[in-house]
Amino acid sequence: MGDQLEARIEAIGTLQGHDDRVWHIAWNPTKPILASCSADKTVRLYTYRTNLISGDSEATANLPSLTFSHYTTIPTGHSKTVRAIAWSPSGKTLATASFDSNIGIWEQESGEDDEPGGGALTGSEWECMSLLEGHETECKSVAYSSSGNLLASCSRDKTVWVWEVHPDSDFECMGVLMEHTQDVKCVAWHPKEEILASASYDDTIKLYIDDPSDDWYCFLTLTDHTSTVWTLAFSPDGRYLASGSDDKTVRVWERVQEHKWECAAVIEGHEMSVYSLSWGRGKSMGQNDLGWLASTGGDGTILVWKMSTTPPIEGGGKTELLYSLMARFSFAHGVSDVNTVTWCPHEGYEDILATAGDDGVARIWKIFH
Amino acid sequence: MSTEAFNPNPVVFATAKSSRPVPAYVKSNSLWLDDEECSTEGFDESNEIEEIDQDEIFGAFFRPLRARQLIRSISDPEHRNMSLEQLAVVSAPQITFDARSPNRLTVEFTPTVPHCGMSTFIGLSIRVRLLRSLPNRYKVDIRVKSGSHQSEHALNKQLNDKERVAAALENPALVEVLEQCLSTAGHESDTASV
Repeated sequence: MGDQLEARIEAIGTLQGHDDRVWHIAWNPTKPILASCSADKTVRLYTYRTNLISGDSEATANLPSLTFSHYTTIPTGHSKTVRAIAWSPSGKTLATASFDSNIGIWEQESGEDDEPGGGALTGSEWECMSLLEGHETECKSVAYSSSGNLLASCSRDKTVWVWEVHPDSDFECMGVLMEHTQDVKCVAWHPKEEILASASYDDTIKLYIDDPSDDWYCFLTLTDHTSTVWTLAFSPDGRYLASGSDDKTVRVWERVQEHKWECAAVIEGHEMSVYSLSWGRGKSMGQNDLGWLASTGGDGTILVWKMSTTPPIEGGGKTELLYSLMARFSFAHGVSDVNTVTWCPHEGYEDILATAGDDGVARIWKIFH
Repeated sequence: MSTEAFNPNPVVFATAKSSRPVPAYVKSNSLWLDDEECSTEGFDESNEIEEIDQDEIFGAFFRPLRARQLIRSISDPEHRNMSLEQLAVVSAPQITFDARSPNRLTVEFTPTVPHCGMSTFIGLSIRVRLLRSLPNRYKVDIRVKSGSHQSEHALNKQLNDKERVAAALENPALVEVLEQCLSTAGHESDTASV
């Protein structure tokens, strides 16, 4: 707002309906569905379609490119806040993490065929296929691995659980990782490999892999943040990991060796806690571009950073990580905190963002570049 | 809640008088009592931006919401018949505004003893009271007075973690005690206030 930045962020939609703070929002990776969850214990699902305007003129070029409509509400049955949600890579399953300490697994009854373009989605009800019990206190985050074969969850009980996804909504616990000394706030999977990252109230980030002959184990602890680490986001190419903290910074960690990650940048710009990060591919990717990193938090501001590296040096040598602020929007949810920001994963929509706020609404944004 | 008192014999302090000049429109009412009958006539009930100062938060008056006590009369969880002000846990000078952003304020409190196990609860009761009473544009930082508690850092961190606060407020047993301590702080049921 008021900045001379190369791009601007504009609101293109507001999704109302939750009765309380909206904690998290997630785009279905295969279908035009957006899900949001709230302290009101429900999950709301929205469908959206593109507004293709024929006779493209200057006047219509800036019209909203997507329209959203509420499609169903899952009451969930969770007895407390639904803190986080995650779609499986197939787009068929939704996982909910609740303060009631359980993880819910939701699927739409089969039978209705879904058209990829966004046809009949309003079929059968979403049903709870499985309830994963095991955490002792509030679950705070849940994430599917890129293959969809593994699910990770974390809790105030200081543990991270890794579950193997079997057919028929059967889940087997593969490991309980008790590495953190405090609440675990966030779990995130590497986009290509089975590397799991967790962020905690103990100010650290931990990275885990599976030892084929043994169990899941922590191979690295990243300790540079000076307060709670709230959020994690891998770069789309998997070479970097971004973390956001109560210390108001975003740190970007570079994979310098197979099992070694080092801090490559400390990004400042937020005035309060950074609650959420999302690293998307962005539009018009050049050879050294790493995509767009969106951040938000307690200051209610959305920042979009353009990430890239220096060109490769002939004869080897290390490339350097570069970042620049590309767009900013203050008071994105009025005076409220923004809890989540997330890029639309669909091709052609890399400039669309969704946010969830303490004001009880979800918003959709477009980057005009 | 533990049944053992952390501070069985607390020092009771005389409560402070407001040093703030009293505007004419509240003169007819005692600022230090529950001014439920305070007239709101002539007050602007709209949500327009209005400065709030430490006296207002502490308990003197709060113009858009009518005169009421915000935090000074919250009951001490261990000594329910005494207020946080009587035990000098809270005081007006411990409420400070960020000069650069007037919507951000810090409320400091002083546990009666450095090992006070009720400190988290006291901090939470102050946070909830302000959450319910202040317009939502205010972002409040709650801290124990520097050097007043052995777990100062842990306490401050916990009281300012919105996720932990949200989860605590979904704990029915905790909320029950909280409501009792807040029942002496103004009247929550007065819906005319917001």
